[in-house]
Amino acid sequence: MENYIIEMRNITKKFPGVIANDNITLKLKQGEIHALLGENGAGKSTLMSVLFGLYRPDAGEIYKHGEKVDIKGPNDANNLGIGMVHQHYKLVDIFSVLDNIILGAETTKYGFLQKKEAREKVIALSEKYKLHVDVDAIIEEITVGMQQRVEILKMLYRDNEILIFDEPTAVLTPQEIEELMETMHGFKKEGKSILFITHKLNEIMTVADRCTVLRKGKCIDTVDIKDTSIEELSEMMVGRKVNFIVEKKPQKIGRTILNVEKLTVASKNHKNNAVKNISFDVKSGEIVCLAGIEGNGQTEFVNALTGLEKITAGKIELNQTDITHMSIRKRSKVGMSHIPEDRHKFGLILDFRLDQNLVLQRYWEPNFQKYGFINDQAVRTYADNLIDKYDVRSGEGAITVVRSMSGGNQQKAIIAREIDRNPDLLVAFQPTRGLDVGAIEYIHKQLVSQRDSGKAVLLISLELDEVMNVSDRILVMYEGEIVGEFDPKKVTIQEIGLYMAGAKKDRREKTDD
Amino acid sequence: MIKPSNKVKVFFKNIGHWFKSLIFKVDDKDPKLLVLYRKGATKSVVSSLISIFVGILLGGVILFILAIASGGDISLKAAWEGFRLIFVGVFNTGRDLNGNLTFGFNSTNIGNVLFRATPLILTGLSVAVAFKTGLFNIGAPGQYLMGTAATFIVALSIPTTIVPAWIVWILAFIAGFLAGALWGIIPGIFKAVLNVHEVITCIMTNWIAANIVTSMFDNNKGVFKHLLDPSPTKNLAYLFKTTENGVATSKMGLDVIFPNSQVNGGIIIAILIAIVVYIILNKTTFGYELKACGSNRHAAKYAGINEKRSIILSMAIAGGLAGMSAALYYLSGNTEFYWSTYQSLPANGFNGIPIALLAYNNPVGVIFSGIFMSYLNVAGLQLKNLTPFNEYITDIIIASIVYLSAFSLAFKEILSSKIFRKKSKDLSQEQPQEILVKPKIIAEEEEK
Repeated sequence: MENYIIEMRNITKKFPGVIANDNITLKLKQGEIHALLGENGAGKSTLMSVLFGLYRPDAGEIYKHGEKVDIKGPNDANNLGIGMVHQHYKLVDIFSVLDNIILGAETTKYGFLQKKEAREKVIALSEKYKLHVDVDAIIEEITVGMQQRVEILKMLYRDNEILIFDEPTAVLTPQEIEELMETMHGFKKEGKSILFITHKLNEIMTVADRCTVLRKGKCIDTVDIKDTSIEELSEMMVGRKVNFIVEKKPQKIGRTILNVEKLTVASKNHKNNAVKNISFDVKSGEIVCLAGIEGNGQTEFVNALTGLEKITAGKIELNQTDITHMSIRKRSKVGMSHIPEDRHKFGLILDFRLDQNLVLQRYWEPNFQKYGFINDQAVRTYADNLIDKYDVRSGEGAITVVRSMSGGNQQKAIIAREIDRNPDLLVAFQPTRGLDVGAIEYIHKQLVSQRDSGKAVLLISLELDEVMNVSDRILVMYEGEIVGEFDPKKVTIQEIGLYMAGAKKDRREKTDD
Repeated sequence: MIKPSNKVKVFFKNIGHWFKSLIFKVDDKDPKLLVLYRKGATKSVVSSLISIFVGILLGGVILFILAIASGGDISLKAAWEGFRLIFVGVFNTGRDLNGNLTFGFNSTNIGNVLFRATPLILTGLSVAVAFKTGLFNIGAPGQYLMGTAATFIVALSIPTTIVPAWIVWILAFIAGFLAGALWGIIPGIFKAVLNVHEVITCIMTNWIAANIVTSMFDNNKGVFKHLLDPSPTKNLAYLFKTTENGVATSKMGLDVIFPNSQVNGGIIIAILIAIVVYIILNKTTFGYELKACGSNRHAAKYAGINEKRSIILSMAIAGGLAGMSAALYYLSGNTEFYWSTYQSLPANGFNGIPIALLAYNNPVGVIFSGIFMSYLNVAGLQLKNLTPFNEYITDIIIASIVYLSAFSLAFKEILSSKIFRKKSKDLSQEQPQEILVKPKIIAEEEEK
């Protein structure tokens, strides 16, 4: 018999309308990195929440070292040596790094905090595992990467030996991802066991020993990484063959749809302008990609373009109409659709039903209302159509409350809504963020079909693979300026990376065409 | 041709079928009662009822504790009577010759419940509408006061010798609405334009309203002191009743159903307004915009909804509802008005908050929670009249119900989890049952 540190046997967990985990068995060996792979809504996070004590399973048992354990809450999990880095960090923003690490496990003497010992322990740990943190910094002032290191130190501080990482790489830069992988290897050498939730296949191939694949709440298989390939894993995850190369028809460039001239946008965070004097255009039948590392003015630019924020100077033209100072609704009437960066904050009203969300920008159109009264039947029919056409899955169809839907399907709903308005310009900000390969493939197809049907697409992306695969033209943004323009066929990822990091810069003059 | 006797048979079979579908799985559809139970709305109602029940029980416990603590001054029998009065006090018809409580149809009490519910429903709506747009209208008392003042001024100043009384009534009602709306719009504008939190501005406007109204009707230097009733029986600065000018809400026949009570057509108007508000919120584009702003103002902005306009309009409507509340209460003609800042703010305004909370901000639910609150009020009066206790016990009950209604979300979750846990266990047992039921239906169909 093999030495399993944790066994989850026949776990079943149901939610209203869905079975999130259906009889799943997961066995974690001592000292291995075990990846948990699956699409959005496959039940990965639910399964880990069961292990961490956040959910009680409806059926099934958990064993540690062959002994049955009952995990009633995170404290029980912690006592069993189970620690978790959540996808959305659980840190107190206004506390220092040290305070966050010791929170809940403080050493006290006569009721007073003993921070000195804690501080030494944290520093020792951070040196041992090369997890560089500034213990006195305030959480809200440090980078996302460092916040993650704080979360990892939190687990180590509690002497956890089973470490759960819930999609740890989603928010990291390529360099930070590499460092994290090394750290994980270090833990493995120490004999710690790691459960690693992800849907990024190449990360699994580099770091994991074994991989369990979930699909729609069911366990498909557990495989050894050395005996498998990316293609095989993705097929197991999605249930069909996945095409990694985006197929595009030959380009047919038409008239200018969007023209941005000398646009400048002030920043809310600092004195400098977030967007500095940028000019470019997007024509029909092309996908222009704005690449760059997060925080280089993309958010402010898109907000200004779509009307969420006021601009400082410059001019925006859509379909030869000056939209610089137009309201959001008028812009949408002129022909702009916007897939927002933050789907929960902007894209959806989570407590509304799906059908109500699908008419978010159109409820006032004559098709859906008469004398100010909404025609529920028309809305429902329209929503059912979209759900069918774009394959949006949910527990109860059009009347599902959007909050209860999986992230991928929420994003699909937004994309259905935005594309179905048949816009001349589609602004897509990170449309595939946090999604699995199946959904990514689907969204890329939709973007390309917009392009092929003669529309203009402006894609803002942080993922270089996406930039290279989908776009017809690449603009690199660095510190609020456009520092380079490339043809994806004639440039390498490394070259673009240099521009994104600010190491190279072209003097760009706008050419008249 | 089907014989009539067959028709009857089919009819009864259909009824039987329908009843069966309530409890059992029929045609692969879950039992209708279970479906109803699973609906969010049902759970809200049930959890509100639980809050109410526990609150009343708590009131009863307090009665017994008081009786025991009084050391014999209050008998346990009195406590038991008080407990019964809290539950069904409205149906009390006094005491019989032996001194026992008697119960039956008490038209005075029931009529008064409806009368007192009228303003409560409207202030409840006021708070609920604002809540739906994500705003906390704690300014209902101020809006209510302004509505009161405007209503009285119009109702008493336009002589009914020239203008027909019903037109004066309508003008006074509109004046109350507009004054309340104006008082609601102020925090709305501050919120929308300057992003000042509405709770702060509402508290300010409440006390500004209190002082304006005090100064207007001051019996010494008030601008409207000619509206005060000079009769010597009134030693304080009471206003004339609106009946002085012959203006009063029509009884709409309710006085026939509930004789000897204060009830009038106001309750019908209040219920109609609640239904209108429900329709506006749930069936119109305007309501969609308001709720979108309330749920997620960023998404509303992204969708091109003018969120500032929505906030201002929502507060105006909320204020208008509070103003109408005052108008209906005082236009009844049997209520007197005396105001001084030394008093606290009007309770009818603040009571809108628990009423809205208890109804989960559902305008139709507000009708019921409003009636319930006034029911408790009347029960409190019964308690005072018939037992050694005073009416403040009912305030304790209201307070604990409000407190518990904050827990109603927890009740809701318990309700959900219980049924699901039970379902997963029952799944194995349910399956054969379904098979047992199915052949029966097939057999029935073959009979036809």
